[in-house]
Amino acid sequence: MTTIYGRRANLALDRAFRGMRIAATALDAERARIDVITKNIANARTTRVPGSDEPYRREEVAFAPILERAANGRIEFMGVRIDGVLQDDAPFEEVFDPNHPDANDRGVVLYPNVNTMKEMADLVTATRAYEASLTIQENFERMAERALRMAE
Amino acid sequence: MRVKAEGSEMLLRLMSAATMRGDVLANNIASQSMPGYRRRDVVFEETLRNAIEKGASKRKIEEFQPEIAIDFDREPRADGNNVSPEEERTMLRENRLRYELYAAMLSGRSRLISQAINSTT
Repeated sequence: MTTIYGRRANLALDRAFRGMRIAATALDAERARIDVITKNIANARTTRVPGSDEPYRREEVAFAPILERAANGRIEFMGVRIDGVLQDDAPFEEVFDPNHPDANDRGVVLYPNVNTMKEMADLVTATRAYEASLTIQENFERMAERALRMAE
Repeated sequence: MRVKAEGSEMLLRLMSAATMRGDVLANNIASQSMPGYRRRDVVFEETLRNAIEKGASKRKIEEFQPEIAIDFDREPRADGNNVSPEEERTMLRENRLRYELYAAMLSGRSRLISQAINSTT
């Protein structure tokens, strides 16, 4: 679809809104990261995932830049996107608990490789990045309003 | 300098397209939790520009109307909905600034006209 927000349309005003759109991609990406962190924390004690014989494995999002070729042939950064969700290969936590229904024949229960403290720290940085992008958008809006007021 | 009426008329049409887009974006935000919903958008400026670039007749350009189109380009989530609240919010902000720009241009034009009228008295 060719809308004013689509990448194909390249009106003069679109260039003016570039900063705003880059911040929007960051907002989107950070929210996805927050979703994954929330999933990790929620499953921090999940000892069995349906369809596998493993406990929950920690996930992490990988970011990648959105690159675009400008009219002059140069590559420009147009924001960030989620490249994929990666699984953490770190070993599971082993707890000796023979009475647990998911204990193996040695009486050991495998717990997810999620460190809640680390997830909380990640959550804080993701939230701050989200807020920073929001502030950028608000500043941009204020700047544009100032510019418009000059015409009055 | 000549202030032509078509310019003002075009600005008014752009403003009404922006108003329409504001409604459509608000509807997208309202439907962000509805499974299967595809976001909608108003198509006007870019088709207009394409028509002008191709040298369409004045009449044809005047007949151009903003249209609501369904956006199938954006990847949907697992529930089939492709609304991203952040992006809609950004578009809403952009749309407001566009509207203000058109309004500022229009008021600049009408100021010129009223100056011309008052200078005769």
